[in-house]
Amino acid sequence: MNIKINDLHKFYGDSSNRVEVLKGVNCEVLDGEICVLLGPSGSGKSTLLNIIGGIEPATSGSVDIGNDSTEHMNAKQLTLYRRNHLGFVFQFYNLIPNLTVKENIEVSAYLSKNPLDINELLKTLGLYEHRDKLPSQLSGGQQQRCAIGRALIKNPSLLLCDEPTGALDYKTSKEILVLIESINKKYKNTIIIVTHNDAIKYMANRVLKMRDGLIVSDTVNEMPMNAADIEW
Amino acid sequence: MFNPLNKRIPREFKSNAGRYICTFILLFITIIVGAGSLVVMDSVTLMLDNMEEDNILEDGYWETKYETTKDAIKKVEKRGIKVFENFYVTDDDFDGNAKFYVFNERTEIDLPMVYDGRLPATGSDDEIALDRLFAECRGINIGDVIDVNGKEFKVVGTAALPDYTALFMDNQDMMMNTKDFGVAIVSSEAFEDLDGQNLTYRYSYRFIERDKTDKEKNDEAEEIIKILAKSGADVQEYLTEDANQSISYLKNDMGHDGPMIKVFVYILVTIIAFIFAVLTSNTIEQESSIIGTLMAMGYKKSEVILHYLMPTIIIAVLASAAGNAFGYAVMTDGFKATYYSSYSLPPLKLVFNVEAFILTTVIPVLIMIIVNLVMLADKLSLSPLKFLRKDLKKRHQKKAVKLPNISFLGRFRIRVMLQNKGSFVVLFLGIFFSSFLLMFGLGLTPLMDHYVEVADDTLPYEYMYMLKKPVNRHGGEKLYMTTLVTEYYLTGKEVDVTFYGIDTGKKDSKFKDSGATDGEGEIAVTDSLAKKFNVSVGDTLKFRDKNTDEEYELTVVAVNGYTNNLGAYMDRDRLNRLLDNKHGEYNAYVSDEKMNLDDDDIAKFIKRSDVVGSAKEMMQTFGGIITAFNVFSVFAYIVIMYLLTKVVIDKNALYISFMKVFGYDSREIRKLYLDASAIVTVVSLIVCIPLEVKVFKLAMIYFSSMIEGYMEFYLPTSVYSEIVAMGLICYFLINALHLIRIKKIPMSEALKNRD
Repeated sequence: MNIKINDLHKFYGDSSNRVEVLKGVNCEVLDGEICVLLGPSGSGKSTLLNIIGGIEPATSGSVDIGNDSTEHMNAKQLTLYRRNHLGFVFQFYNLIPNLTVKENIEVSAYLSKNPLDINELLKTLGLYEHRDKLPSQLSGGQQQRCAIGRALIKNPSLLLCDEPTGALDYKTSKEILVLIESINKKYKNTIIIVTHNDAIKYMANRVLKMRDGLIVSDTVNEMPMNAADIEW
Repeated sequence: MFNPLNKRIPREFKSNAGRYICTFILLFITIIVGAGSLVVMDSVTLMLDNMEEDNILEDGYWETKYETTKDAIKKVEKRGIKVFENFYVTDDDFDGNAKFYVFNERTEIDLPMVYDGRLPATGSDDEIALDRLFAECRGINIGDVIDVNGKEFKVVGTAALPDYTALFMDNQDMMMNTKDFGVAIVSSEAFEDLDGQNLTYRYSYRFIERDKTDKEKNDEAEEIIKILAKSGADVQEYLTEDANQSISYLKNDMGHDGPMIKVFVYILVTIIAFIFAVLTSNTIEQESSIIGTLMAMGYKKSEVILHYLMPTIIIAVLASAAGNAFGYAVMTDGFKATYYSSYSLPPLKLVFNVEAFILTTVIPVLIMIIVNLVMLADKLSLSPLKFLRKDLKKRHQKKAVKLPNISFLGRFRIRVMLQNKGSFVVLFLGIFFSSFLLMFGLGLTPLMDHYVEVADDTLPYEYMYMLKKPVNRHGGEKLYMTTLVTEYYLTGKEVDVTFYGIDTGKKDSKFKDSGATDGEGEIAVTDSLAKKFNVSVGDTLKFRDKNTDEEYELTVVAVNGYTNNLGAYMDRDRLNRLLDNKHGEYNAYVSDEKMNLDDDDIAKFIKRSDVVGSAKEMMQTFGGIITAFNVFSVFAYIVIMYLLTKVVIDKNALYISFMKVFGYDSREIRKLYLDASAIVTVVSLIVCIPLEVKVFKLAMIYFSSMIEGYMEFYLPTSVYSEIVAMGLICYFLINALHLIRIKKIPMSEALKNRD
């Protein structure tokens, strides 16, 4: 599913204290691409991701996903949009502590009319052996795998990852990136990854660089590297 | 597909078992009290309603010194009223110290209801059936032989008389006399043997037309009084069914107990609902990022609300259903006992009704759901992003609240109080309500004791003889006593006031401190009357003579220290002139020694000890209820305090962990976090006392407005200290538990939850 962003503006604060975080963002991510969104803190990348994800409204402009546009959606329609199209992966996993790995993933499966096979997904995630454990019994990497599984079980057309390796060590981060890459290949979802880690751009089909609320470069990577080969 | 989020609920119950068990028990007990008492009340009310027709309950009665003439009765009956002789014989010294009315066999009016055994057989001259409660209180059993005015009777049964469901010796009494006053019934033959001594001519009447309004009934009563007055009958007492406490007291008690129980249940349920709201609100704050994630995944707000509402719904439904079942099936005996230990009633047939079920099950559940739903709808109205960022403030605080330049500890505690202001407001309300219950429980005994202590001050003499006709005797002080009515401003109803015409010039009179003067139109009133009617010296009160319809305006010149009845004192000559009586008329003697008077001359005999004894008896019947009140209040204290102060620790677990990392020890952490709760608890306990006293006083005014007499508010200072001490003991026990909890918070908490 193609994603097209049209002249997106976002202001925070009132008139006396107004900050423009997005200053007219235009870009397009094609169906099945891994897109890495890079930029320093405060450049507006998380805000852009949140607007694409329908959890934050834009001040003006629109996000077109396939044939849908978020521009005039109300809260209920945005909820349905997230339910039907999106999967979220956060830096701090946000797993439900008193549900097992499998149950955490089922929480998301419940929302989908046609979810993926949970056992197969658990195997893909390398969590099948840990499916009955609580999040507190898992390592950080395993918890993030579980969070990815939770986002993927609905088989969303768009997977949004906000600093998915931000809380992980080098080795675990690489494992997560390999997982994301394999998922993209297997399920053909469009994936947008927001990160501070410049090296992740090498595994992306498209790299968007942001600075001061604008996209300053939009590069298509014809020959992306395997995630396992990336070093930083 | 079954919502997997629901799997959290049993785990939530398990991980917070203490919280849910406590609230369940609190709600469960509340519903038991509501359901059990309402079903008993409804059943008793139905029984009382049925008595009216099934037992042909009288609409009123009068008593005359001598037999009322047939002519006068005919005139009364011409008004569509049926009059029945309902004579009784009084034994003033029954069993040494009780007053006992023995009624003639009844076949047409106020038919007795057998509780156990049987009624005396027609024609038997030595069988008697006693009031069940009186027999129980005095330990008289079926088969015993008792002495009534020197004649022996065999007790063949216990019964309840519909005109004596509440055993009031005197209609102005504050309390029933379950041990020192009783009624009984004998056959006509046995009654003929007795009626030579202490016979009272009571005539009970009943309207033929049964759908008269209260006003019509009262208007008719006034007409009857006029007819009797015109025909020269010397009416000693006249009471309509409504004014007769022995009939109406239980009905009124039911009428007042019902709303009181409902108010009690709903206040407590609302407090429990707010406790749940505070706890759920705290859970939402703790699970903010999970909620944000659920919303980001596409969970609807309604689904999230339902998920967080579910524990409240489950506890409310389970506690209400179990409380109802338990209240109906098991506890009714307990609630029945509270009525049967005070009132004379036939065996109770429990009637289950839908209304009681709705009031005690559906409404409490709805209260719980609505309070929590409103809180959740408000709390979850934020965007998913705000939850993900843990930014749950609706309005951003631009600046921190400026605090005075006090110590760091002081400022920190104030910050903790501000952070937990919602919990502390509910804590204050919970303490207020629990303390009020405790005040009621601890205060009722001294209140009644005080009543007993001052019970004998109304009558400064040991004995009072109400006379049928003036009889000159030495040794006693003459009185002219009458009853006038005056309107009570709170209810608009007319209330009886006893007028004592005393000899103000008599030097050795014990009524000297009554404050009565010989001035025209001047009265001294009892402290009770002054308080109930809110009058003071200089005020004017309007009185009406029910017999003549004459009205009198009298000025209060003194308020005396007598506290236990609604009385007015004036010079006997002045009172006689006011009422157009003959000069020097009197109708009573008071004396400290027993007087040598013929029984035939005495209309009524009153001993001061009768009043005191009855009050003491009443206290015994309250004993169980008072203990239950105290236990429940203390439990409510503990649950409310524990749950609401624990919120402070739960909310700050991460920061407490940080403090440990910084090097604070448990004692210092207690000072930072727990002392704020301790201060709020102690201040609430102290501040609530005067507020509760105010409410208690208002309750006493309300209570007094419903009865003939007046009960003064009285609570010794020790009760206040006991309430505060009890609250503090409960809190410091809880505090000890919190300290253990604080010690258990690991330092790794600070390192794990960095987001």
